Amino acid sequence: MKKRSFADLFFLLFVVYIVLPVVATMLYAFAGKWNKTILPEGWTLKWLATLFQDTAFIQAFGRSVLLSGGAVIIALLAIVPAIFVIVLYFPKYEKWIQAAVVMVYSFPGVILAVGLIRVYSQFGVPMIVVVLGAYVIGILPYIYQGTRNSLRNVDARQLLDAAQLLGASKMQAFRKVLLPTVYPGLFAGALLSFSVLFGEFVLINLVVGSRFETVQIYLMKKLSTSGHIASAVVFIYIVLMGILTFIIAKLTKQAKGATNV
Amino acid sequence: MTYITIEGLHKKFGTSTVLHEIDMQINKGEFITLLGPSGCGKSTILRIVAGLTDASSGKIHIDGQDMTGIQPKERQVGMVFQSYALFPNMTVKENVAFGLRMQKMNPTEIEKRVEEMLAIVHLTEKADAYPKELSGGQQQRVALARALIVRPKVLLLDEPLSALDAQIRKKLQADLRMIQQQLDMTMILVTHDQEEAMAISDRIFVMHNGRIAQSGTPTAIYTKPKSEFVAQFIGHYNVFTRPTLEKMMGTRLPGEATKFAIRPEAIHLEQRAGDVPLQGTAKQSLMSGNVIRTTFEGTSTFLMEQLHQGEQAIRIGQSYTCYVAQEDVIALS
Ligand SMILES: Nc1ncnc2c1ncn2[C@@H]1O[C@H](COP(=O)(O)OP(=O)(O)OP(=O)(O)O)[C@@H](O)[C@H]1O
Ligand SMILES: [Mg+2]
Repeated sequence: MKKRSFADLFFLLFVVYIVLPVVATMLYAFAGKWNKTILPEGWTLKWLATLFQDTAFIQAFGRSVLLSGGAVIIALLAIVPAIFVIVLYFPKYEKWIQAAVVMVYSFPGVILAVGLIRVYSQFGVPMIVVVLGAYVIGILPYIYQGTRNSLRNVDARQLLDAAQLLGASKMQAFRKVLLPTVYPGLFAGALLSFSVLFGEFVLINLVVGSRFETVQIYLMKKLSTSGHIASAVVFIYIVLMGILTFIIAKLTKQAKGATNV
Repeated sequence: MTYITIEGLHKKFGTSTVLHEIDMQINKGEFITLLGPSGCGKSTILRIVAGLTDASSGKIHIDGQDMTGIQPKERQVGMVFQSYALFPNMTVKENVAFGLRMQKMNPTEIEKRVEEMLAIVHLTEKADAYPKELSGGQQQRVALARALIVRPKVLLLDEPLSALDAQIRKKLQADLRMIQQQLDMTMILVTHDQEEAMAISDRIFVMHNGRIAQSGTPTAIYTKPKSEFVAQFIGHYNVFTRPTLEKMMGTRLPGEATKFAIRPEAIHLEQRAGDVPLQGTAKQSLMSGNVIRTTFEGTSTFLMEQLHQGEQAIRIGQSYTCYVAQEDVIALS
């Protein structure tokens, strides 16, 4: 009994610690006057409206989508076929992918940034391309996990064999049988990658900075000028992430359902 | 006229040789079984016939055509896998239609053929279900329908029934045999279950360590095993060396053979004309169905099988003289 109530209390504290700042930020995004009261004295959409009229924000948002989306698409086109080929035909090399995944996880962004600046600034490669490249590699773990998990529940080799014996070419077998089977897991991995990159700040700020202003950098700037606007940015960000999370959760469930035999 | 010829087939994986000198000749419409213990190379033969694995050397002809260098999709060979390999993203109907869609057949014709095929395998009601919604036996029948619908020249079945329980298995064995005869389809079935092989094949190829140990009709293989391996694998034969058996029987055995086999059910307790005796002490008696299996210990242990129908009860620990007809003592090579 005692133990139970202690756990409850702990949980409550945890929720307050995590949720309160978020709620407060969200409220702040819609707050009119808010000085001496617990809750704001009035509500307004002014901050959101200002934000959407600010071309700098729209452009920053566009840049973020472009950069994250571009990295995800490149990763899908380049990494996914490689993962398929290795898992299906050269399973003994899979441990190298796994090693790469661990390395990606264990490199802190700051160290990576210093390294990238040092190496690439001498060659005249545009820094934004360097960041893009780092992003593509940075999401390897998510893309790998997404693909691998959906391949795990099916005997992919055998599905390809079966399709080929029924008259499909290797390409057709891949497109009509394997891809639809792994699609939900793959798509979930892609969305997850996108949301991680969308929130990335360290690398882009250190390597490129305000020369390529993303939502995160825009947010950083606004923090020092207008708390309300900054809160509105956070609000939009949270809504966007909420939607993505919802879709990912749905897809993950679907991916599990599709292959449970 | 042979329909499928396999000549001098060899397969190495790295340095280990998995198939040695496999030769097989199969007639059109025959039901062939490849029977052998796990790891003896049965699946490898099927995969080579299907073109999914390359042979190290040797030739395969199907319907007069040399298969060397021919892609799986061009071979007109169907295959049913042990784990069925149904496409999880497609319904039963779509799975079965897949092969015809690949042939770009017109949709109304596909619809018609799929319906016919589903009726043959009794799955009409499940047409719109997904594979994960089916029982093992039903999934197996979808796999069969999917492979049969394109009317392959030969259908390869890699232990298609081994994941099913005994009752469904018996039923599907009978169904399989019936469909095979109905369509006059040439089939090669892989199994490690000798009863299954006996029950449904026209001919059996018994495999051992990557070689064909013996081939022939089920009766021929069962009554005339050529080697100790076949004798033990196919019929739980008693196998004796020459000195042991001569000592137990108290006579000289004719011929050169060094080993002999005796079927358990050829041994009995009452003496008939021309029988030779076998001495032993009853050690254990077990009932299985309507058969009693008794283990005797003499110079060597041996097993006797009797039908359980008012036979005299065997007393454990007592010595008996059992008998076997001279012609039931089979010389092995
Ligand atoms: N791709 C491969 N690489 C290396 N060795 C293999 C490969 N495939 C099969 N083998 C080996 O070849 C031998 C024969 O395998 P095969 O699958 O043909 O046996 P099987 O008779 O079908 O056995 P089971 O009844 O267990 O399915 C085995 O020793 C196996 O380890
Ligand atoms: Mg096998």
